[in-house]
Amino acid sequence: MAERKPVCMVEAINLALHRAMADDPDVVVLGEDVGPNGGVFRATVGLHERFGFRRVMDTPLAETLITGIAVGMAAQGLKPVAEIQFMGFIYAGMEHLVSHASRLRSRTRGRLSCPMVMRTPHGGGIHAPEHHGESTEALLAHVPGLRVVVPSSPRRAYGLLLAAIADPDPVIFLEPSRLYRSVQQVVEDDGQALPLDTCFTLREGKDLTLVSWGAALKETLEAASRLAEEGIDCEVIDVATLKPLDGDTILASVGKTGRCVIVHEAARSYGPGAEIAALVQEQLFYSLHAPVQRVTGFDCVIPYARQEMAYLPDVDSICEAGRQTMRGNDQ
Amino acid sequence: MKQFKLPDLGEGLQEAEIVEWHVKAGDEVAVDQLLVSVETAKAIVEVPSPQAGVISRCFGASGDLLHVGEPLVEFEGEGEDSGTVVGNLGHASGTSDLAADDFIIGAAPSSRDARPLPVMPAARELARRLGVELGQLEGSGPGGLVTVADVQAADTQPTAGEALRSVRRTMAKNMSRAHAEVVPVTIVEDADLHQWDAGARDPMVRLARAIARACQAEPALNVGFDGARLSITRHQHIDLGVAVDTPDGLFVPVLRDVGNRDAEDLRQGLARLRADVLNRSIPPRELMGATITLSNYGTLFGRYASPVIMPPQVAIIGAGVIREQAVAHQGQVAVHPILPVSLTVDHRAVTGGEAARFLKALVEDLQAAE
Amino acid sequence: MPLSVPISYTRYLDDHGQPSGELPGWVDDPQLLLDFHRQMTLVRAFDQKCVALQRTGQIGTYASTLGQEAIGTALGRAMTEADVLIPYYRDTATQLQRGVAMQDILAYWGGDERGSAWTAPGALEDFPICVPIATQACHACGVASAFRIRQQPRVAVTTCGDGATSKGDFLESLNLAGVWQLPVVFVVNNNQWAISVPRSLQSAAPTLAHKALAAGIPGEQVDGNDVLAVYDRISIAIERARAGKGPTLVECVTYRLGDHTTSDDASRYRDADELSEAWKHEPIGRLQRFLHGQGLWDEEKEQQLQRDLGERINAAVEAFRSLPEADPGAAFDHLFAELPERYRQQRDELLIRAAALGGSAHG
Repeated sequence: MAERKPVCMVEAINLALHRAMADDPDVVVLGEDVGPNGGVFRATVGLHERFGFRRVMDTPLAETLITGIAVGMAAQGLKPVAEIQFMGFIYAGMEHLVSHASRLRSRTRGRLSCPMVMRTPHGGGIHAPEHHGESTEALLAHVPGLRVVVPSSPRRAYGLLLAAIADPDPVIFLEPSRLYRSVQQVVEDDGQALPLDTCFTLREGKDLTLVSWGAALKETLEAASRLAEEGIDCEVIDVATLKPLDGDTILASVGKTGRCVIVHEAARSYGPGAEIAALVQEQLFYSLHAPVQRVTGFDCVIPYARQEMAYLPDVDSICEAGRQTMRGNDQ
Repeated sequence: MKQFKLPDLGEGLQEAEIVEWHVKAGDEVAVDQLLVSVETAKAIVEVPSPQAGVISRCFGASGDLLHVGEPLVEFEGEGEDSGTVVGNLGHASGTSDLAADDFIIGAAPSSRDARPLPVMPAARELARRLGVELGQLEGSGPGGLVTVADVQAADTQPTAGEALRSVRRTMAKNMSRAHAEVVPVTIVEDADLHQWDAGARDPMVRLARAIARACQAEPALNVGFDGARLSITRHQHIDLGVAVDTPDGLFVPVLRDVGNRDAEDLRQGLARLRADVLNRSIPPRELMGATITLSNYGTLFGRYASPVIMPPQVAIIGAGVIREQAVAHQGQVAVHPILPVSLTVDHRAVTGGEAARFLKALVEDLQAAE
Repeated sequence: MPLSVPISYTRYLDDHGQPSGELPGWVDDPQLLLDFHRQMTLVRAFDQKCVALQRTGQIGTYASTLGQEAIGTALGRAMTEADVLIPYYRDTATQLQRGVAMQDILAYWGGDERGSAWTAPGALEDFPICVPIATQACHACGVASAFRIRQQPRVAVTTCGDGATSKGDFLESLNLAGVWQLPVVFVVNNNQWAISVPRSLQSAAPTLAHKALAAGIPGEQVDGNDVLAVYDRISIAIERARAGKGPTLVECVTYRLGDHTTSDDASRYRDADELSEAWKHEPIGRLQRFLHGQGLWDEEKEQQLQRDLGERINAAVEAFRSLPEADPGAAFDHLFAELPERYRQQRDELLIRAAALGGSAHG
């Protein structure tokens, strides 16, 4: 039955989970509070009632364990979708993600594999206590064998989550908590997945390419509107899958515009923006009109709620970077 | 249903008695609109609405006691259950482009069709300055790369005037650079030469000696100044740059160690430098290393000037045409030969006092008979 | 305050091969006992061969099972082909018993991923050797969860050392197994040493089996050098799990007669007297004496066995040595189910670098 009323991202994620579990008996959900409580963000609402404890499991409070048992379940051919309550708590599971999930296929030469999904709220700006606003996707994107996906709208969350669940390899699905309820959109519950490993072009333009992902896209799109009023026509790329990165789309866009500004919430140094900037300058050095710029979070510990918004890239900073890029060497 | 609970009314007061409701169920209220008067132990307090909305319920009646944290009013609304969430999830407010229906999977059509021209970044910058259209160019570099040479070759703009070459070109560049760095201050004075032997009109040697004496009196003007590092190098010797005007342009050969040479030596040295310059046989080494410079335009025309200091020097002396002038001398009007002297210093490194003292010593030595 | 909960300890044969108490009924099957003996002898001979190959630079660092032949053999035998093994790294005996080929084990320790891509039909879903300590316990709980979700009568069996029982992964796994009543058996190979850290510094728990109590699951000890005891108690635990009665922790008490790995020199931290004392309890001699006593074994059979095993082992070593060069591109071919196009260039570069090294990947 198609859903017609607009839904927010969390609801779209819920739709995708219901859909995936109904279509494939091997899909199971596990995590803390995912059962009768429906998840602390209500992402798993209704699943327990519909599919029972056998397939929707409340685990003890143990992130290392949650990640580890997902590996074991996946090796047996189940498709576990494990929820980690906040990205700030994913670190306890890093050993299993890095040492096992990412390499099970490779180290058994395909005899075993790990089709698991790990979902977790990502990023700051929701005035939560410390540790509840992490953007450390770079730590995961660096690991060979892991996919890292960040949706930016209800429809893309639906389609990308379906794709992640169906994918035969491990996917870390980072859900921008700042976008969980702030954007509504009609999402067709048609079971159609969107492609992984692919960027999306949200706005076509000829002067300047803005590259971003997750919640930072909200400010990036606003900046594009504002710059349009100043006569700067921006193209906006949603990276969506950080790893493996769809370099082709980014390069096609920057090849056309000759100018690139990357926006991300994650801290500046060794952030994913550095990888994209390296790729762009490597492949498009002779097409660039100006250096690639990054507008990012800072290299300091992310401030508590009161000062958190100053840490995040804002529309003004993105616009200023855009203008500077257009000016080039003219000071 | 969104409930607004009785807030902390301050000063540790934990409860309040409802005095009078200003709103009722069904009313639409604005932010800050007064909802109710309550009485605490200390005073009657008005409680404003924290949000705009429609009241669906008021808790309690006049005379009822409410504790801080108990529900006060309930607003109509979606009653969204956003979970046991820490933090504050923004709720949908208007449209965002993130909810736009259209998005392209992968690259936009115009990006896919783009065929960027490979251009050396330096060439691109040059093309911009020269106003050369890149699109028309065929690059001579690998893979059709457009190079600086390609841009220069394509520069068909007729030059307004003739391009500077050689010495004048160097002068243009050096003066620009100096102007960008130096902070010049000029002080002038007249040297009264009436004590000189009549007929002695070539002041060059006397000027060289006077400058040497002034450097000894005020060594602050005979230093090298590094503007980037903000450091001073005190020179052991006084190597005087002497500006020489030639048909080819301005040259500034260096008369070495003027502080330790006698007048005859200086005169011969000057003559040799001038000859070498005019012959264009002066080695480049002899044009370098001046610690202070003299520009004697008095051989041409003019009185006072503020010549340009070449870093790392910090001072330059200008000497104008010697003229006969009526002056006051011992209470009488007399006609004396007057040599106008200008001193320009770089105020980043030299103070006004140092400049004045230097100039005084210079002029006094110049004015002496011998 | 020390716990005074009793933990059972099972032993059927003493050091001299004499029964200590009543033997379980299945001991009457001579073939099973002869199989145990033959297999344990194979394990020891092969294990020594592995150490020798490391010492001659033909394989890399290797973790010897010297003294623990009974545990792996017994537990491997107690499992069915439908069950799944999630081992740690001192499981040569277990892997061999499960049917993994000797040359595959050599390939793994020799630095070739193909060593974990075995085709042994009884071990197709077994996990490979696990290096990050105790993480395999979580995987075992995941495997057991899958059995429960699919309502399959299968059991996950996982092994670990005494050191691993200190790690969070182990404790979290016991806890989950208990609260979800998972069909999993935790076999702890307590060989008294975690590299150089002795059991006395590892935990204040009176036995490692006591850790089961905190998880609300049964825990027991067996004499890890008595193959009869290990086989008996693990079989019972496996059948209990298969019947839906939940997990068990079986602590096999033994002694690590070799070094931690071939990179270790235990004489630096271990007393020579303690070691020679431990040799008196070792498992193969014990069973052999029992078999002699039953008239099932003699010196001639022993010589023949050694010859047969020698041939088999040499054949395996030859097979390992003549393994064709691995395709360097395999690292990319098995990165994901399908290699994304953009990695093809990196794959090509890897092949170029490998070719530049020229000749053997064994360096």
